[in-house]
Amino acid sequence: MSKKYKLKRLLVRRYQILAAILFILAAGLVLLPKYKKNEGVKPELFVKNAISSERYINTDLLADRLVNQDPSILLIDTRPEKEFNEFALPNAINIPLKNLLDENYIEYIDQDIYDIILYSNDSFYADQAWMIGNRLGYKNLYVLKGGLNEWFNTIISPKYPDETMPKEAFELYSFRKAAGMYFGIGVIDTKANPIEKAVAKKKTPKKVKPKPKKKKRVPEGGC
Amino acid sequence: MGPLIPNGIIPEDWNYIIAILIGLAFGYILEASGFSSSRKLAGVFYGYDFAVLKVFFTSAVVAVIGLYYMDYLNWVDISQLYVHPTYLWAAIIGGMIMGVGFLAGGFCPGTSLCAVAIGKIDGMVFTLGLIIGIFIFSESFSALEPFFEGSNLGNITLVDTLGISPYWIIFVFTIIALVAFAFSDWVRSKVKKVFY
Repeated sequence: MSKKYKLKRLLVRRYQILAAILFILAAGLVLLPKYKKNEGVKPELFVKNAISSERYINTDLLADRLVNQDPSILLIDTRPEKEFNEFALPNAINIPLKNLLDENYIEYIDQDIYDIILYSNDSFYADQAWMIGNRLGYKNLYVLKGGLNEWFNTIISPKYPDETMPKEAFELYSFRKAAGMYFGIGVIDTKANPIEKAVAKKKTPKKVKPKPKKKKRVPEGGC
Repeated sequence: MGPLIPNGIIPEDWNYIIAILIGLAFGYILEASGFSSSRKLAGVFYGYDFAVLKVFFTSAVVAVIGLYYMDYLNWVDISQLYVHPTYLWAAIIGGMIMGVGFLAGGFCPGTSLCAVAIGKIDGMVFTLGLIIGIFIFSESFSALEPFFEGSNLGNITLVDTLGISPYWIIFVFTIIALVAFAFSDWVRSKVKKVFY
């Protein structure tokens, strides 16, 4: 009897109880300890991108695109400014790694018009820049595999292939030799002078690329 | 994790099937709550029945609290949810026209279809009027378009407009809802009861 009476009393107050629950839940949201959420791409996607070999572009492909004056590439030099002034790839823009997210430069990185190719002496700085950019969800970022060292070893002073190597190796060699000439340094014949060191010094013509405009995002879905 | 369909947990092909199932459930709840009666809806304006206010306010508050708890627990990514664009003046004028239609007809678009489903003649007349209204609006849209598009504020929410944390907005909104419930109960106790 008393149990039934208790239930009845509870039912009479049911709206007050429900209102109290709603209030507690809403207050709970305010009082919960806040934490910073991940920005940019999801960690799973980031790791997937990071281990994909598609994020690299090799020096031959880059040389080919540069020779053909491909307008869709944007070279970004992630080395410090001093090194950039000594030598840089043609038409490259210098964005030192520590200034990557500066307001002046962010529009070069966060865009989807150009294929951005990041490079440094090896892939080290460029990889770091790629990771930061990719984590923030920026598109079309690539890293020059091996960086300028690889560029020097393959394009500027390509290694003469062995006699026993296939025909393609010789074709690649002559392409590299021609590309090396195109970039105005001339080929250092590794066959004749294998030890000679060549310091490539070239004033890079600096072309000003227009800053890409940000695209307005279109809302998705509907109700 | 969520939303389930954009993140590929449920295949996109299920979109319409899920929408139909939710629609069926929505219609069932509307009818079960008695919303297919125009007297119940008009009751909000005359002060003898506030079920509509209570149901819609409760559903909004429960949904928003639930969503933000799920967002907190990383079950749903709030930023991935669709936010309907705000056409400020168009929405104000449209809301006023809809309010008049609501009061005069005793249905809102959803409940009128519920009323049609259970065979109410006033519901059918209302739905006919609704279709005529849609037809007139669509045909004259090119004339209305500058006004319609002119006040487009984009996909904004109160969080963007006021710059306050969403949790505080939800909290205040919940208190407003609870006060509104208490107030509507008080009004109802003052107004002469109508039986229908």
